[in-house]
Amino acid sequence: MPNSKPGIKKLYALSSENKRFCFPQPLKHSIRIGKREYEVKLKSDDKYGTYILWKNRKYPVEVVSSRQNRYEILFNDISYTFTVETPFSMQRKKVINAARGKTEKETLKAPMPGKIIDVLVREGSNVLRGEPLVILEAMKMQNEIQSPVNGQIIKVLAKPNSNVMKDDILVEIKVE
Amino acid sequence: MDLSGKHYKAFIERQEALKKQYNPKQAEKQHSKGKLTAQERISLLFDPGTFEELDAFVTPADQPVEFGKVERTYGDGVIVGHGKVNGRLVFGFAQDFTVMGGSLGYVHAKKIAKIQEMALKMGTPIIGMMDSGGARIQEGVASLSGYAAIFHNIIHSSGIIPQLCIIMGPAAGGAVYSPALTDFVFMVNHSSYMFVTGPNVVKEVLNEDVTSEELGGAEVHARKSGVAHMIYDDEENTILALKKFLAYLPSNNVENPPVVPDDGTTPDINEKLRDIVPDDPNKAYDVKDIIQLIIDKNSFFETAELYAPNLVTGFARLKGKTIGIVANQPKVLAGVLDIDSSTKGARFIRFCDAFNIPILTLEDVPGFLPGTDQEHAGIIRHGAKLLFAYSEATVPRITVIIRKAYGGAFIVMNSKSLGGDFSFAWPTAEIAVMGPDGAVAILYKKELAESKNPAEMKKELVKKYRDKIANPFIADELGYIDEVIDPAVTRKKIISAFSALSNKWVKVPARKHGNMPL
Amino acid sequence: MKIKRILIANRGEIAVRIIKTAHKMNIETVAVRSAVEPNAMFLSQADVVYDNTEDTSEIPVFLNIEKLIEIAVKTKSDAVHPGYGFLAENAYFAQKCIDNKIVFIGPSPDAIYKMGNKTVARKIAQAAGIPMAMGSEGNISDEEEAVSIAEKIGYPVIIKAASGGGGRGMRIVRKPEEMEKMFIIASKEAEKAFNDPSVFIEKYIENPKHIEFQILGDTKGNIIHLGERECSIQRKHQKLLEEAPSGALSEKLRKTMGRIAVQIASAVNYYSAGTVEFLLDSDKNFYFMEMNTRIQVEHPVTEIVTGIDLIEQQIRIAMGEALKYRQEDIKLKGWAIECRINAEDVQAGFAPDPGKIEKLHLPSDSWVRIDTGVQAGSAIVPSYDSMIAKLIVKGKDRKDALKNCKLALDKVWIKGTKTTLPFFRMLVRNPKFIDGDFTTAFIEKDLEKNYNSSEYEEMLAAWLATKLFIEENFTDKSINDDNEKGKEMSPWLLNKRINQF
Repeated sequence: MPNSKPGIKKLYALSSENKRFCFPQPLKHSIRIGKREYEVKLKSDDKYGTYILWKNRKYPVEVVSSRQNRYEILFNDISYTFTVETPFSMQRKKVINAARGKTEKETLKAPMPGKIIDVLVREGSNVLRGEPLVILEAMKMQNEIQSPVNGQIIKVLAKPNSNVMKDDILVEIKVE
Repeated sequence: MDLSGKHYKAFIERQEALKKQYNPKQAEKQHSKGKLTAQERISLLFDPGTFEELDAFVTPADQPVEFGKVERTYGDGVIVGHGKVNGRLVFGFAQDFTVMGGSLGYVHAKKIAKIQEMALKMGTPIIGMMDSGGARIQEGVASLSGYAAIFHNIIHSSGIIPQLCIIMGPAAGGAVYSPALTDFVFMVNHSSYMFVTGPNVVKEVLNEDVTSEELGGAEVHARKSGVAHMIYDDEENTILALKKFLAYLPSNNVENPPVVPDDGTTPDINEKLRDIVPDDPNKAYDVKDIIQLIIDKNSFFETAELYAPNLVTGFARLKGKTIGIVANQPKVLAGVLDIDSSTKGARFIRFCDAFNIPILTLEDVPGFLPGTDQEHAGIIRHGAKLLFAYSEATVPRITVIIRKAYGGAFIVMNSKSLGGDFSFAWPTAEIAVMGPDGAVAILYKKELAESKNPAEMKKELVKKYRDKIANPFIADELGYIDEVIDPAVTRKKIISAFSALSNKWVKVPARKHGNMPL
Repeated sequence: MKIKRILIANRGEIAVRIIKTAHKMNIETVAVRSAVEPNAMFLSQADVVYDNTEDTSEIPVFLNIEKLIEIAVKTKSDAVHPGYGFLAENAYFAQKCIDNKIVFIGPSPDAIYKMGNKTVARKIAQAAGIPMAMGSEGNISDEEEAVSIAEKIGYPVIIKAASGGGGRGMRIVRKPEEMEKMFIIASKEAEKAFNDPSVFIEKYIENPKHIEFQILGDTKGNIIHLGERECSIQRKHQKLLEEAPSGALSEKLRKTMGRIAVQIASAVNYYSAGTVEFLLDSDKNFYFMEMNTRIQVEHPVTEIVTGIDLIEQQIRIAMGEALKYRQEDIKLKGWAIECRINAEDVQAGFAPDPGKIEKLHLPSDSWVRIDTGVQAGSAIVPSYDSMIAKLIVKGKDRKDALKNCKLALDKVWIKGTKTTLPFFRMLVRNPKFIDGDFTTAFIEKDLEKNYNSSEYEEMLAAWLATKLFIEENFTDKSINDDNEKGKEMSPWLLNKRINQF
């Protein structure tokens, strides 16, 4: 009956390469390596900016973007993308993906005629829904054409400095 | 006094029977599809221990009520009640797909209507979590009139209490109007659908093959139809987001929204704002970058992000107080206004007006989208909606003109003449009847035709136009805007402006309602 | 003749570098402020700044010969240092300076022209009996000639632009059937990049090492070499890391190659600083490639192992002084490694990542030298280059230098743009690199990934993501009794709202 605590005891951070990092909820400010717990601290000051202090060393860190449960973190000059999942949402991902079977393809078409100024992705790039993929100049302005889905770029057909008509296919994306 | 006496036997038997109904096997039916059960959803939404269920034991109308040990389905497929969401009284219901497919019968509808009426009496928000197979066929017209009662209540309460709903499963046929009438619709990707006519009928009548997802999945409604305002990849995130969203809204149309104190890390003066607009007027920028720098840290909650992205709408906080933001987005379609963005903006503004939420408008609009598509589909009518919504709104309204503000679009985007309270402009603002290229082409048509180097001449004239006519100082000196401000002090300015407007009161005209173009 | 004031026809770290030595020599410097970076660091260090921010010309000032001469005259500069890139190897610019009685701190226009045109350079080298890769006598006129020459040389061959380098106009051809097509593509690319479609063909040497020798010559005919630099760590013909000396050269080979380098320089009566580039194959055969008639980006590593200030030498030579070093005086001591820290995203194929440097902390140990043109608050402007700093470390031998390099890289703290640091941090831990076992094909063939994320780093990032998620979603920030008080409103307003309908 409704009234039991939701009781989410652990959370998973899933990397873009499907690596899973498990953390207990409530989150501890320490990470266990082998038998020892090492303290982790998130700090910020004027000299260094935002950083993480771990094992007596400072690591520069920036939160590049955060949308819903998807976070892009720049840690020590390397970018990582994670989605944070509850045990249920991890299971749900499996169920939904199994049910949907064949991978879908999404084509990104030019919404109006214009000139391609810049192509921001390459084959294999991982993209998020809403992320700009192509810059199209039309009506004297540079317009961002955004990805309609989360997924991976299969094919890039748009070429910088080329002219396109309305509905010309710019990019093909494998839907995640 | 213990509970083992004969008076209590029936009581306990009933409790056991209810528990048996909500057993793990039932739960598995939902979990195997990646969905949560109705109870789990209620537990996630409401603060632990605060939910009081009502009418848990009603039985459906067509089932004979018997004594004895026959299994009865209790609740008629929906859990209704009240509880606290982040400490605040809210009424809510969750349809239970595992009980008779969550189908809406007479009693099911009565339960929902009951809490709708209570919510209206108490002046609290109402949240619906829909997951239903539709009307219960066995009950015939009784279930249809059940729907009608629900719709009627929504409409009756519209603009008085916030009404939110989450689609967590199918919602077909008549069932879709209940979300359509509510203030904001949340949908869960890949496991919720809304359509008036389902794929089977579409196949039969039009011989068109289409899946539920393609016809009315979350993506479709978020991107194309605009029916869904927020979509998320799983149920937990959706419910958590709704809780976050609710904190921006007041409980009713008399109270103010809750105040979430600012952590003080957003500087009132920020020089980064000067760097955002590029020097080249044809280069785009992301208006959300500006938004992030002027509101309380991380307080921007965007609504309908994927629909008409050329206009950004959403809620944010300034020093803890909720405001609504409407902003042109230059990097999509050059930030023009079109049919979709006009209706998106109009609806958002009217919601804010109904619930006393002040509105901040960030303007950078070169005009309306030209073309026969727009004209034939009625951009005139739809653009008028935005104009009407702004003018009609009596909440505090502030505009900051960032860059372009041409012609009709300038008027529409909350200009002072429409009753906007304060209008500020950045030095990069260009306020004119039309853009420089168009103006030069008209005013100097003869000279350009006769010139030996028209391109060069045009370039010079455009520059002159920008300097002499389109610059914001002229509008400032004539009083059409209040002040040209340093972008760096934008946050400080709007906070003090809204503060000055906090007691704004304008009497609405004595009429039933206006005749807004629809 | 004495030089009293030098106009620096360049910007960024090389401008800072030139200013440093000029000040040491009590010579005044003039820098040019452009609209694109009005607050660049080098401007605050020069003695005189010429403000060119109002310039509406399409040509960037550092490529505008007329403008630069005009500035030199206006500022009464008696010499111009072109740095590297821009007009440093433009013979016409050098000549124009001379015509206007301005000393050009570099070689003669004639030497620039001869070595600048690759086919001319090859002819000269051939006449001097210098070992080089077999190739066409001159420029190739059409596809047929290309095919027949390639047949004679033997595949694989490489098509190269006569008027430029950096990978443009360059195509490797392994199969005869591809030759015609590649010739046309290379020609077109060369025309687009250098305004000259001329190309020539050479035997392509597979997976060579790129070894270059630093040359110094004076106007009295004395030419010496200052040892070699190992520049094989390149990506698409752009150098990323350089060392001096090279672990691949024995003392004997060094002497031989050095002698040849000097020979080439003599063939054009070279003076000032210059670099002779060779390719070294797996059998330790070396082939002359080309000569660069300017000071190079990677000159610091030579300065460290020889103890000689090359900019100072350039200025002295330009003043007509004789070289005070003889070949026997040049001794290479210790080891130096330079890492080019650029604002590039290693994870996106080294795509430029322009932006503003928010925080910058660089190591200041005695065994570190930093050459940079930026400071915290500087903008990395895409219209110039993406260099943030050159991190140069020294050690008593290669092992020591590598150890110091590792330490120094971990001390670099840059916030505001993505950088090439992850690449270097991975490189100095790569076993093949540590062994010295690498060629110019190293990055493409021997590296699986251009960066390494240590397991703990990814986990810490994951921890942070989780923390943010919890803060956003599970932390009850919105309502409690105190917040209820905040939403009170004045009786005026409450009364109005209640009675409105």
